[in-house]
Amino acid sequence: MRGAAATEKRGMRELGAEKLVGWDEVTHGVVINSFEGDAANIASLTSEERIYSDFNSYTATVASWRVVKPVYNRDICIDCQNCWVWCPDTSIISRDKQMLGIDYDHCKGCGVCVEVCPTNPKSLLMFIEAEENDSALSQWPEKKKKEKE
Amino acid sequence: MVEIRWHSRAGQGAVTGAKGLGDVVSTTGKQVQAFALYGSAKRGAAMRAYNRIDDEQIINHEKFMYPDFVLVIDPALAFTDNITDNDKASTKYIITTHLSKEDLIAQIPSLQERKERVFVVDCMKISLDTIGRAIPNTPMLGAFVKISGMFELDYFLDRMKKVLSKFPQKIIDSNMDAITTAYNTVK
Amino acid sequence: MAEKYEINQTEVWDGNYAAAHALRQAQVDVVSAYPITPSTPIVENYGNFVSNGYIDGEFVMVESEHAAMSGCVGAAAAGGRVATATSSQGFALMVEVLYQASGMRLPIVLNVVNRALASPLNVRGDHSDMYLGRDAGWINLDAFNAQEAYDMNLCAFRIGEHLDVRLPVMVHQDGFITSHTAQNINPLQDEDAYKFVGVYQPVEEMLDFSKPVTYGAQTEEDWHYEHKARQHSALMRSTRVIDEVFADFKALTGREYKRVESYMMEDAEVAVVALGTTVETLRQAAKELRKEGLKAGVIAPRCFRPFPFDQIAEVCGDAKAVCVMDRSAPGGAMGAMFNEISAAILATGKRPLVTNYIYGLGGRDFSVDEAKRIFKEQKAHADAGHITTQIQQFSGLRGPRLGFFESKRS
Repeated sequence: MRGAAATEKRGMRELGAEKLVGWDEVTHGVVINSFEGDAANIASLTSEERIYSDFNSYTATVASWRVVKPVYNRDICIDCQNCWVWCPDTSIISRDKQMLGIDYDHCKGCGVCVEVCPTNPKSLLMFIEAEENDSALSQWPEKKKKEKE
Repeated sequence: MVEIRWHSRAGQGAVTGAKGLGDVVSTTGKQVQAFALYGSAKRGAAMRAYNRIDDEQIINHEKFMYPDFVLVIDPALAFTDNITDNDKASTKYIITTHLSKEDLIAQIPSLQERKERVFVVDCMKISLDTIGRAIPNTPMLGAFVKISGMFELDYFLDRMKKVLSKFPQKIIDSNMDAITTAYNTVK
Repeated sequence: MAEKYEINQTEVWDGNYAAAHALRQAQVDVVSAYPITPSTPIVENYGNFVSNGYIDGEFVMVESEHAAMSGCVGAAAAGGRVATATSSQGFALMVEVLYQASGMRLPIVLNVVNRALASPLNVRGDHSDMYLGRDAGWINLDAFNAQEAYDMNLCAFRIGEHLDVRLPVMVHQDGFITSHTAQNINPLQDEDAYKFVGVYQPVEEMLDFSKPVTYGAQTEEDWHYEHKARQHSALMRSTRVIDEVFADFKALTGREYKRVESYMMEDAEVAVVALGTTVETLRQAAKELRKEGLKAGVIAPRCFRPFPFDQIAEVCGDAKAVCVMDRSAPGGAMGAMFNEISAAILATGKRPLVTNYIYGLGGRDFSVDEAKRIFKEQKAHADAGHITTQIQQFSGLRGPRLGFFESKRS
């Protein structure tokens, strides 16, 4: 997963584990810089390409908050972007309207993406955190037949 | 220090008159103060405006004063307001009225022992005849110039023109006319 | 480019008009305002100047004073030179956002045309609004007349925008007594004034797209205290810049300002401390009393915040009696300035007899005669060697004598 690779590169820290500094070192006016260096071009870069500042919440991970996780099945997905729209933590990675997967650094496992997935069977399903994704994909359910009235 | 108290109704231009006088006086190198007691008063309510004129910077900010001149620009206020408040033995009164000086003094007891220091001018009629509206502040300036002897009329008119320079020529001319008429008719 | 405004060497302006011209000459980018008596003409004239091409700026009309200061915060965070004006109830509604502005270190200039706080409703001058905002983390400069309202505005931009300060600045003037009293004023020409104020230097501006920033972050117990300490430190240390700016202003205009103004204090036996126009009325009284042989002096904190704790004690000199006058209803305490002056004196070895007068509430006139009476009362304290009245008294109040607390000193 690209999201996982990006995590290693950035060296994610646990959210809340800031280095506490003295009054003479805190930022001027509690102003927080979002990025390191010149960010004039930031809108044209993907989140993986951006260099976020230490104060940006993007550099903190909430992976350990999760008990269950969504697993994504490319074979069934129709790239409708419903999950991307609904995810409250912008943890669905999509490029050019093509679904790439889950950002497991920022996903809290709320399951909203699974709720809103319209395919049959769903292209996203919740599994317990300990389950390997390959193993999860091998257990994917079959298409459900519509029950006749 | 010369101190002046204006008695007016809100909307008759006492504040503008006091500030206009201040503007003119400042061009002579003197220090001035122009202020008023007003606030939430409605148009028509009795109000007072004040001037202080001195050679040194004026640092006294009290509203209280013993006026050297009392300028009454509304005809009725001479009757209803206490225009002789805190006056001195030398305080001069310039009152706008259509009455003769004798008739006015006869009707206002407080003026009877001050009649040597009372002067009358009909600012309402003058402003209606010259400016076309009942704005009695400008004629009062003309009367004040005459009674105070503080300036030559031509000098005052010249300075006043500069103060009014942003207005159309017609308005400047009618104001000059009002000042001159009042200067010539105050008695 | 804005048009040049023709200005005479001497103008007869009231405090409001003088302040409006200072905003024009500083070429303030944004005024976000909700006009209120007696401060209205300041923002009204700014709008006028913008419409007539004398300022390249924007007047933003909003729906309340809370929104007015919020607009100022937004515009200042975006990177503009920002100012506004208010009074009394409007100031009270602004208070929440005043703390935001100082916490975000935005050098906004706020003209406070001091007016009483309701109830009862009153449009005239006292210092209730000034006192209400005194802990809001702003620099507070006080003007005693219309000329100073102009001068302090020009200085305010220089001080607040200095890179070592970056704090908002209030310029106080007395409602009506200064704001609506026209007096001789010697303004600077436009180019000289702008040169003094300088080109605005933005810091962490939100409209710099190459460096996106977040303003108004939340900090809980792990961060908040450190941020407030840094802010307080900047405010306390702004004194160096204030002194520098006042020195530069003197070099330019010949008009000298100090963080504490003292008048005939060198050999004063008795002193009175006050703010606003009262300072000048007291000087008039002191000058007259000196002719009668009473060694009277006047002390006035030009800079109410940061409070000149050390300088106050210094200028008190060897005065035997010091009276502190508070023009704000004290709400169940001694007057706020009495407390601060007393504390400043207490830090020295000297023990003058310090008393408190509440006065001038809701615009009640303060006369030269009353000022003289108060000086003479101080002389009576000094001669007796103890406070001969109650410690807190009320000047110019009708009805039975009102006062609180007896001195236990002998």
